[in-house]
Amino acid sequence: MSYGRIRALQGVSLAVPEGSVVALIGANGAGKSTLLRAISGIVRPRRGAVRFLGEDLVGLPVHQIVRRRVVHVPEGRGMLARMTVLENLRIGGFARRGGADKARELERVFALFPVLQQRRGQLAGSLSGGEQQMLAIGRAMMAGPRLLMLDEPSLGLAPLIVREIFRIIPRLTAEGTAVLLVEQNARMALQCAAHAYVLQTGQVVLSGPAADLLANPEVQRAYLGAGAAS
Amino acid sequence: MPDLAFLAFLIADGALAGSIYALVALAFVVVYKASRMMNFAVGEWTMLGARTTAAASHTLGLGLAGAIAVGSAAMVGLALFFNRVVLRPLISRSLLSLIMLTIGVGMVMRASATVVFAGIPPRVASPFPIEPFVVAGLPVSLDKIAAAAIAAACIVALSWFFHGSRTGLALRAMASDQQVALAVGIDLHRHFAITWGLVGVLSVLAGTLWGFVSGGGFGIELLGFKVFPIVILGGLDSLPGTIIAAFAVGILESVLAGYLDPIVGGGFSHVASYVMLIATLFVRPWGLFGRPDVERV
Repeated sequence: MSYGRIRALQGVSLAVPEGSVVALIGANGAGKSTLLRAISGIVRPRRGAVRFLGEDLVGLPVHQIVRRRVVHVPEGRGMLARMTVLENLRIGGFARRGGADKARELERVFALFPVLQQRRGQLAGSLSGGEQQMLAIGRAMMAGPRLLMLDEPSLGLAPLIVREIFRIIPRLTAEGTAVLLVEQNARMALQCAAHAYVLQTGQVVLSGPAADLLANPEVQRAYLGAGAAS
Repeated sequence: MPDLAFLAFLIADGALAGSIYALVALAFVVVYKASRMMNFAVGEWTMLGARTTAAASHTLGLGLAGAIAVGSAAMVGLALFFNRVVLRPLISRSLLSLIMLTIGVGMVMRASATVVFAGIPPRVASPFPIEPFVVAGLPVSLDKIAAAAIAAACIVALSWFFHGSRTGLALRAMASDQQVALAVGIDLHRHFAITWGLVGVLSVLAGTLWGFVSGGGFGIELLGFKVFPIVILGGLDSLPGTIIAAFAVGILESVLAGYLDPIVGGGFSHVASYVMLIATLFVRPWGLFGRPDVERV
């Protein structure tokens, strides 16, 4: 089943199936972030469609797209630095009605990221980089996403923290959420995704099961730094 | 009057004025918080709020509550119109041009108010008895107390709104980072409109209460000039800071008016808040209650 179907940039077409992690890798400037911004309505593609559950999202205002449970965690984490962790999480559920659902979602977020529960009264700006990334993901989960888009979750984080976050990403799909993961850290992304696309100057040059791409010599040479020790 | 009692009287009187300053300053701060836009015409908005309410009272023969309701409806309508028709098309322009725009709008308001409301008394008569009552040897006027009580109630309601309601949470998120607010599904335009609606209501309340206590002699537009030292001392976007600064400025003015004005000539008290402002900014450039932007990146 095709959950989201996207045509943007220069004839880019990719599908993100329900309940799975799809990775989008590529060099800096390949158009990865632009693609996510087009899907979430921040930029409007000149042509093409973003089809989500049969509906075209192009032209809808951003808040309407969030209401359709398409949620974007932008690069750089976007903390509401002067608000507490709990307030950041509560604002994540803004577009959603139903207090019981939100309370259950909050439990889930705290189960995934226990550190957020410990620090729930603390200002978001005072968290470490890794904790802020966890909060950014947790806040997006509060919207009950059916499509969750993560832009460079590893950015600026220590390798140990990156590994911790990537261990959690596959668990985000537990309730059928589709995850579209944009990463420069291709190895981490391919290891946690089911399917992957390689984007190069605005076009998909390669796609397939993530394991196949991980074994692909071309991908290894260009994106995995083959020759260097893992 | 003994010295200590005189001081106590001045402080109480200043605090009562401060409560109204706080309302006007809050009208400034809610807009600033949501959109980083500075409304340099808060004084004119307040004046218009007062005159609209007065017109409703005098021409329609309404009581105080009715006049405030009609005045609020009219001012909210005006504020929403201003937001939708004037501000929204300019939303991506530089903040400076928006600031200039508010000054221009203020001038238009002043000029048109004298035409539109010509011949109508500029204020609603205070419904409270004029006779001051005496507490511990100090004369306290009832209308000032009532005005302060109403102002305090508004401040409490507004604080709850910002910290306890879903809309308030959204407004604070917008104040913190508009991109993030957008990403969590907040309709920015709708919430800009809500802040302007608040400006409409606050301008009616502050303007009407000011009419009670000032006796109409004081140029109400000048309230705007009192607001700038207050909001800057308060840190521009801190609600509690604004409220505390409003009381501080009110008390400072009152005390100086009592002690210094007889010596250095009347009017120094009006400048005092600016002197305090300049002194404060030397020490804390981010205001007394604002926070320097420090965060982990």
